[in-house]
Amino acid sequence: MTELAENPLLEGLRTRRTPEPCVLVIFGASGDLTQRKLLPAVYSLAYRRLLPESFAVVGVARSELSTEEFCGRMREAVAEHSRDEFRDDVWETLAPALRYIPLEFASEEGWSTLTDCLSELDRTRGTAGNRVYYLAVPPSAFGTVTQELGKRRDTGGWTRVIVEKPFGHDADTARQLNETISGHFDESEIFRIDHYLGKETVQNMLVLRFANGIFEPIWNRQFVDHVQITVSESVGIEGRADFYEEAGAVRDIFQNHLLQLLALTAMEPPIEFDAESVRHEKVKVLRAMHTPGPKHVVRGQYGPGYIEGVEVPGYREEPGVAPDSSTETYVAAKLFVDNWRWADTPFYVRTGKRLPRRETTIAIEFKRAPHPPFEAATDDGARPNVLLLHIQPDEGISLEIGAKVPGQGLTIRTVHMDFVYGGAFREGLPEAYERLIVDAMLGDTTLFMRSDEVEEQWAIVDAIVAGWKRDRPAFPNYAAGTWGPVAADDLMHRDGREWRRY
Amino acid sequence: MENATSKDIERELARLRDAMGDEGPTQRTRVMNHVAWVPERWVDAAQEVLAGLEERYPSRVIVLYPRPDDDRDGIDAEVDLRCFAHGQRGTICAEVVELQLRGARAAAAASIVEPLLTADLTDFLRWRGDLPFGEPELEKLVAVADRLVVDSREWRDPDAAFVRLAELFDRVTVSDIAWARTEPWREAVAQLWPGCARADRVRVAGPRAEAILLAGWLTARLERDIELDHEPAGEVELVEVDGDPAVPKWVEAKSASDLLSDQLDIFSRDPIYEEAVRSFSRVPI
Repeated sequence: MTELAENPLLEGLRTRRTPEPCVLVIFGASGDLTQRKLLPAVYSLAYRRLLPESFAVVGVARSELSTEEFCGRMREAVAEHSRDEFRDDVWETLAPALRYIPLEFASEEGWSTLTDCLSELDRTRGTAGNRVYYLAVPPSAFGTVTQELGKRRDTGGWTRVIVEKPFGHDADTARQLNETISGHFDESEIFRIDHYLGKETVQNMLVLRFANGIFEPIWNRQFVDHVQITVSESVGIEGRADFYEEAGAVRDIFQNHLLQLLALTAMEPPIEFDAESVRHEKVKVLRAMHTPGPKHVVRGQYGPGYIEGVEVPGYREEPGVAPDSSTETYVAAKLFVDNWRWADTPFYVRTGKRLPRRETTIAIEFKRAPHPPFEAATDDGARPNVLLLHIQPDEGISLEIGAKVPGQGLTIRTVHMDFVYGGAFREGLPEAYERLIVDAMLGDTTLFMRSDEVEEQWAIVDAIVAGWKRDRPAFPNYAAGTWGPVAADDLMHRDGREWRRY
Repeated sequence: MENATSKDIERELARLRDAMGDEGPTQRTRVMNHVAWVPERWVDAAQEVLAGLEERYPSRVIVLYPRPDDDRDGIDAEVDLRCFAHGQRGTICAEVVELQLRGARAAAAASIVEPLLTADLTDFLRWRGDLPFGEPELEKLVAVADRLVVDSREWRDPDAAFVRLAELFDRVTVSDIAWARTEPWREAVAQLWPGCARADRVRVAGPRAEAILLAGWLTARLERDIELDHEPAGEVELVEVDGDPAVPKWVEAKSASDLLSDQLDIFSRDPIYEEAVRSFSRVPI
């Protein structure tokens, strides 16, 4: 704002959201995330001129690579994974700003090399000592890396640390991690990423709820019968057995994505759309959730089956998975938010691997019309209205309403009114990482998780996992390509409801 | 369709949707009404731009071809539904209505357009070529539109037109494609701050309209009289403020469709543009 006030020529120009000069340092730069998501996101930002004029990217990993080799790999990765066409002129603005430093985290010499590299970039590219550290490394390395970064943070500029999930393994380890990081960085400098929060539809949910007068008055227990949140994946564990055996569906998806979606659905209107106001309201939801009892949680593990006509192995037959593994690949739960808005309104959530299709959707099912005079005339039952928020793959919103079928009689049929994001707006949807990287550069933590938020999420997961320790599950209990175990259907049927079929 | 009415046009659109059957739109999302005023000399350019836009916006597009000198009074219509597959969940269509406004009908364009507009959507009016200030075809269409999109580069006498343009600002939101083209140059000039704070002169090699806008912008922002030294060129090639060159980071060669499309995403008034236009009368040339 000071710069704007001083320079009247900047007013009205789009440069206002361009971050200050900085270096983005990616730890874990040889990994899949960097190639598939992070560098393509940086390229798309360069494509749209959203990066600061003085900018550099330093890749850090254990692999012995030269900067030239790293550049070559990143070029291929961008060409393959970017949502934008590959343009040499755009790449040429990025390539001279790329560096690679091989680093063993325990090696003092490696850290010195990194420090020297960053100082050189400050001198040659004008990055002003500002740093965004992206920790795309296993949680076991967080402590070492943050300590080393903390020791070396006196660069004369600002420092921000982006931390990838999983953030801990349970509430205790999350708390320890928070303590470790907060020993070196202020909460305003810590960006715990959940990339779902960078998705347009997730942000649009706040707009839908709080910028449209028609929804908020009915967004409560009086009008909503129940809410269903589904995060389904058709893929298996994609070679990540080491990680998945430890994590399972409850830590991989439920603890973060599912609970974040639930919090955004149930939260009260924030006073402002800023970091503290939004996160404060989300934490209140998480605190208001009571621990689900064993009857309200279902876990499952896929056996062999078919996905889109292709035979796929069961989880226990996946490479690297124990033949008697009891890791869950599916979780469903019935949750309650105990506050005035939502008391007694169930939130049914489910996530699983090897389900029939990839789909992330929030369905708000409203109560039936109290006295429909048309009951005999409906050919598919007097179905309640449902508001569907499609998070992926096709982002958008649908409303299911009953409509009269044209003709002499009075037949009612359910129709969908759709708003598909890509169909209504010209601008291609930005990848979540583009938004989040720029927000971190700008120091905006609104779409990142706060320490207490993460700990509350883990507290819910810990309670669920503790209940599971009492007995050994009879896995596998659902075939790949089906919508999960029978017990998950029973969870709904007991309440006279059904899971939505997508 | 010769001598078409709005009822004929709506009926034909409905018939086209029915005829597409399962391949037709599963939804009728529309985000705007896009009205284009296209005099004869702009027909080819306008059709090229529209072809580039249809896939991007599910909208109702009404293209008006004024033929005031035609002997016959009447409206000839061509109606089309141009559909594009989108994602897994449907097809998006633009409803395109092309109207030849013959004879006296050309002056009554607004009354022809109004029944065809989709209610409650933003109405964009793209005016090709010179603006006939004070004439009924412009005055009445401006009263219907929410936003007037022009390209001052298309004007034969931009000096005179900019003086009159400010009269429209309180009646319709105006956006100017030529102004959008100057953005990289304005960014570059902004980088000359604070050295340019007491500038007296700007030299611009480029189209006249862009040169005027840059000079007007500097006059307004710096609150000083800025003298314009203009050299004609097809695109902006050089901007110097008191002899200091402004070097843009990036000048994108955008297609005509992209340029218009950018304007269709803007809904609010641009006070910086309006000030630049209003200040032009203060620019010594």
